[in-house]
Amino acid sequence: MSERIDQDSVELRRRRLTRIFADIVEHAQAQSLTRCPYRDRRDLCTARFGCRNQGPVDGENGLAVCQCDGQLDYRSAWEVEDPDLVLAAWREGARQDDLPEPEDVARPGAVCGRVVAGETLFDVADRHEARVDSSCGRVGSCHECVVEVLSGQDLLETHTPEERFIQDGFRLACQARAVEGGDVTFAALRRSPIVLIARVESDVVPHPAVCRQGDTVVRDGEVVDRWRGRMLGLAVDVGTTTVAAELLDLESGQALCRGGFENPQRFGGSDVISRIAYDDKHPGEMHQAIRQALNNEILSLCQRADVSRHQLYEILVVGNATMRDLVFGINVQSIGQRPYKSMVEHEWLAGERSSTALDESARRLGIAASPYGRVVSPPLLASHLGSDVAAGLLACDFDRRQERRVFLDIGTNTEVVMAMEGRVMAASCPAGPAFEGGLVQFGLPACEGAIDSISAIGDGFEFTTVSDGDPVGLCGSGLIDLLAELRRTGQMSPMGVYEAEGGRAKELVVVDQPRITLSRADGSHLAQAKAASFCGQYILLRLLGADASDIERVDLAGGFASSIDVASAIEIGFLAGYEPSRVQRIGNAALEGARQLLLDTRRRERLDQFLETIEHVELETTDDFFEIFTEGCQFKPMN
Amino acid sequence: MMPELADIPNDFIRGELDEFVEREDERTELISLYAAAEPHLLEIAAAIIAGENGPADELTKGALERGSGALQIMDDGLIAGMALVGIKFRENFIFVPEVLACARAMKAGMAHIEPILSASGVEPLARVIMGTVKGDLHDIGKNLCIMLMRGAGFEVVDLGVDTSADEFIDAVEEHEASLLGMSALLTTTMPNMGRTIEAFIDADLRDDVKIMVGGAPVTPDFADEMGADAYGDNAVECVEVAKRLVGVAGEPEIV
Repeated sequence: MSERIDQDSVELRRRRLTRIFADIVEHAQAQSLTRCPYRDRRDLCTARFGCRNQGPVDGENGLAVCQCDGQLDYRSAWEVEDPDLVLAAWREGARQDDLPEPEDVARPGAVCGRVVAGETLFDVADRHEARVDSSCGRVGSCHECVVEVLSGQDLLETHTPEERFIQDGFRLACQARAVEGGDVTFAALRRSPIVLIARVESDVVPHPAVCRQGDTVVRDGEVVDRWRGRMLGLAVDVGTTTVAAELLDLESGQALCRGGFENPQRFGGSDVISRIAYDDKHPGEMHQAIRQALNNEILSLCQRADVSRHQLYEILVVGNATMRDLVFGINVQSIGQRPYKSMVEHEWLAGERSSTALDESARRLGIAASPYGRVVSPPLLASHLGSDVAAGLLACDFDRRQERRVFLDIGTNTEVVMAMEGRVMAASCPAGPAFEGGLVQFGLPACEGAIDSISAIGDGFEFTTVSDGDPVGLCGSGLIDLLAELRRTGQMSPMGVYEAEGGRAKELVVVDQPRITLSRADGSHLAQAKAASFCGQYILLRLLGADASDIERVDLAGGFASSIDVASAIEIGFLAGYEPSRVQRIGNAALEGARQLLLDTRRRERLDQFLETIEHVELETTDDFFEIFTEGCQFKPMN
Repeated sequence: MMPELADIPNDFIRGELDEFVEREDERTELISLYAAAEPHLLEIAAAIIAGENGPADELTKGALERGSGALQIMDDGLIAGMALVGIKFRENFIFVPEVLACARAMKAGMAHIEPILSASGVEPLARVIMGTVKGDLHDIGKNLCIMLMRGAGFEVVDLGVDTSADEFIDAVEEHEASLLGMSALLTTTMPNMGRTIEAFIDADLRDDVKIMVGGAPVTPDFADEMGADAYGDNAVECVEVAKRLVGVAGEPEIV
């Protein structure tokens, strides 16, 4: 045999193997989010340790049947415990505890354990490394830790004031405290909010970043892959609360599949500032959470569309500066401090990069796409005003029409952009989560049973709920309606004081059974959230010397804007006094813009040019900002 | 003439390819690879695809005795088999446990190839000891790491699960390993990495070996705090980290 074995010939083969194995590992990582890696193709468990999902043992090979339903047992082992605590324990030289024995539980995901008098259910969940969501620091205000108590109710104190909104059998894990010790079983609830994907679409002639040349796929004149039957792209809008995605065929422009999910970074807080603070304390975890959730979504979209992720060559991500940079694993600390600019923007201003657009290899980011895929994001507008606003403006041709117009993207952060006589100004208003389910006692995101419209009839109210479910609380559009109706019927003063028979009331009963109320504190949170939106519009209108009635077109994008009643919103000063017939709801404009930018690279240049003409206004530097804000806190039309 | 499915001189592989490889480009590529291979080398590939340890071992030994070259056995037997395994996994026909069985079969074959490579002057990159720490029985992540490390040219001694500090120390000494990799999947067992590293310091062996750690709950901070030399976020990174630790420059891959 005359084979010549040298370093190069062996190295060549090692690389070939590494490539095969790297693909395997990548797929294994993505798959492990939904399928236990110890489960083999006969659905038998190959783990050499106990797992609560192990069923009867199969006689032939001695392996237990895996009864996992996707609620993976092993994941909780590292998801819950605070790494800081482990680190602290390590520093103290704590002794190793024995491995906790797996337990029998009544239902998957349920926690069954012993509670000691004085402890909360959250303490029990922590001890059992079970995941229960919370974003308020466990003080009872975020309502995310609702658990269903399956046994041992009698051991617990009665419902606290914070828990008044939930029915018997359910508790807030942070509030339910044991009166005496004993065994309890409870399971966490997961509310899935409705993710807005619908929007006004326009035709796009595809001109994607990759194209087919014979048997190859080419990007920027370079062959990047062999032809695999089709080329796919993914448009993603990463919102603080929800994430929406659409899988597209890059050649035909056809949408293959759409999906949405709750942003899993919620454990780090419900708004951008809390997430930045969390990322400082636990670097990398926010990035990891969104990366894994995206991979999960990509695989599920690919499966539903019956395509391979290896055909996915470009992922276009839009989001506010923080959400976007967390996807790219960029340090976001600078966005939390004055002048509230991302690292990317600082580098751009310092001339260290030519644009605030981002472009990274999917493989480097660990995103489950083609190994030759890119993850890109269009430039941001300024500070908190991110690529989602930029994309939203493109979606409604904001740069193409010469009207006097307003673009409002309403969400946890509300963005206002106004165009008037050739000038374009933009501002970001930190509204907070009051209209999205946070802070307000009976507030909810738009999920089943949320009251989404309401009117005062006689002594009571008539309302509709999402999916016609039994009423459980109020979502943003319902809250705006309610406030406007309370004003219209004189039950509430502009200052948010409730007028009831024989004087002032601390709270208003909206629904009797189950009892849903609105308290003074709720009113005050809503007033402040509304004031943020008010300030943005008021200050920009004033700077441009315009009156709201001059505005020829208003585009409302995002969040609950799609179900908002415009007249109600104007009545309480949430929207300026625009002519209601000129207001249109355009749905998830950020996702639509992302789709257009993904399919047509020429629009990326168009957007770059337009962004340069926009003036960014820092609202809080306005001299009389505080007076305007105070004025904005009142529930009355804007003057 | 383009080779066709019928030209593959192995029934099992022909069937597997026909059943599991759906994409036209991959079919064409694999058909030409398999059709041009010696039948007795394809049997090695078949043993790997079937995840059968013993046959992979026997067949590789036999092929060398018959005079096949080491590189040719790698190309047409070992790598050719693994290529199909990768596709079956990607398309969810098989799962991680099956892939690991196939990787084990490939390792059995490689065991006969490595000495020949060494004799020709191509040494393993380094000798590495790997195991999960005391108290931890979760080994999938570690096994994927080992699969990749071996593919990339490291000689790996696998200590398995639940490895005590003494076992790690003994193995490093016995095999004169220059690298040690530890993994933990539980926050409760994670601190045992630190205890193991301390045991190395106590035994005055810390300077003899570079230590890298990984596992889902392990963070770079934690790795640093415990005194590890490096941290790998996943199996691919593990190889890169290992190469860096032993001073092999991680060159960019050529596609």
